[in-house]
Amino acid sequence: MGGSYALLVEGLKVWYGRRQVLRGISFKLPPSSILAVMGPSGSGKSTLLRAINRLLDYVPDARVEGRVEVFGLDVYRENPYRVRRLVGMVFQTPNPFPHMSIYDNVAVGPRLHGLAKSRDELDRIVEWALKAAMLWDEVKDRLHEPPTKLSGGQQQRLSLARALALKPSILLLDEPTANIDPTNARRLEESIRRVAVEDGVTVVMVTHTPQQALRISDYVAFIYEGKLVEFGRTREVALNPSHKLTAMYFRGEL
Amino acid sequence: MPPRSVPREDRLFYFSLVPFAYIIIAALLLLALSITWKALPALEAYGIDLFLRNVWAPREDSPGDYGLLAAIYGTLVSAFIAVVLALPLSVSLAIAVEELAPKPLRGAIAFLNDVAAGFPTIAFGLWGVEYLVPFLRDYVMRPLYSSIGFLPTFSCEPLSGASLLAAGTLLAFMVTPFMTALIREAYASVPFHLREAAASVSSAWYQEVLLVLGMIKPAIVAALLLGYGRAAGETVAVSLVVGNSFNVSLCLFAPSYTVSALIANQFGNATYYPLMPEVLFAGGVFLFVIGLVINWMGVRMIERVRWVG
Repeated sequence: MGGSYALLVEGLKVWYGRRQVLRGISFKLPPSSILAVMGPSGSGKSTLLRAINRLLDYVPDARVEGRVEVFGLDVYRENPYRVRRLVGMVFQTPNPFPHMSIYDNVAVGPRLHGLAKSRDELDRIVEWALKAAMLWDEVKDRLHEPPTKLSGGQQQRLSLARALALKPSILLLDEPTANIDPTNARRLEESIRRVAVEDGVTVVMVTHTPQQALRISDYVAFIYEGKLVEFGRTREVALNPSHKLTAMYFRGEL
Repeated sequence: MPPRSVPREDRLFYFSLVPFAYIIIAALLLLALSITWKALPALEAYGIDLFLRNVWAPREDSPGDYGLLAAIYGTLVSAFIAVVLALPLSVSLAIAVEELAPKPLRGAIAFLNDVAAGFPTIAFGLWGVEYLVPFLRDYVMRPLYSSIGFLPTFSCEPLSGASLLAAGTLLAFMVTPFMTALIREAYASVPFHLREAAASVSSAWYQEVLLVLGMIKPAIVAALLLGYGRAAGETVAVSLVVGNSFNVSLCLFAPSYTVSALIANQFGNATYYPLMPEVLFAGGVFLFVIGLVINWMGVRMIERVRWVG
């Protein structure tokens, strides 16, 4: 049913207790593309991400209805840890594990999933992930220091490297640049673009600015009060929004 | 101190609190000073040997011969047994409460645990004498003695069952609720975004839990230290199950003594024997120093669990 789509969401509804947060969301995303999810705060963007990788399992009294498929894999019939192995995530707050070194923060996923057969192989994965996150040059001489010595922006790129080290098929990012400075934000955007183009990773990114969506995304989804009001190619939507709310959002009026 | 610009009634309030706040601190300092003062004659008479020799030969007409080693050894070993047994219990209980128990049950278990942490220790002692000691003797000590008695720790035949092992086991039951409370609190304090990150990189639930435990390792070490401090200072319950006999033996089944049990048992009659009260005060100084060092280290460890961001 998923066909050649990387991500298929169909009739997705989510409740927190009795409050409905997502009211029937459906879209299909082709592989290696970048989707920017936009919408005012509280519209359900973060909930949508957490419904895709089943982090909603951790929200007490969250209830999910509908269907999510990742490369044809039915997310809600699958072992959630297997889902999260395929669907990596970077969070709004930079969150490297404070008790592990920089190296171990990147190596932790491959270690727990048994991805590397030797120390050399693990070293190579860590180096690749740190390079992909454009952090390698800054940390290659201090891999065994704690991540708390890094700046907030570096910590966020370390969080990205940690997610990439599992070689995910899909990468979810929840306003990843909201809490970091513009220079670091640019670098993060560039690495995201690159892993999509060079490594074929499909990216779903919640963004807080229309400018960011225009800069990096192929597709945009606009969510308002739990409903998907607009979905399409970024250029087309930006030039010719079919919905009045999307137009207002792009003009910064929402 | 409140700045000068604050209203007069606030300053009044502040100064009305000062005496009570400082009374506690002053009392602690005076306590330390006065027990040391009372212990000085014994320290002068026996020197460092007071802590390094195992003798207990009281005399009524002249100062007897005293050395606290057996009690000190018993204190350190029984507290060690206690935390070694209590650690896996408290970590498991903390995980069970935080991860497995259904939400309404969580509060109830946490409440029971906190009640148990403040339970009268004599109740533990009575239970220990009546049930724990015979049980340990018949189902733990005797089988171990007859099967692997060649190991020095299990090499003596258990008689009454009152022993270091009994004291350590009872203390484990007593400090587990306290240690569980500390570990549980640290576990619950892990920020949700770190929990989500742990969930994202793990390939099974147990790995996720181990990751979270790794983050709160300083708190677990702190619980170990503070639990040790509590166990080393515990008195009444231990005096009922430790056997009260001056033994320094590797064998855990032999009756032994602890410093606090010794003080509690002997102090009533100590004034009939020259220097015995001073010797017991020296035991008090030992406990005070141990408690101070262990608790200081424990509190320092707890301070290392601080979440950034």
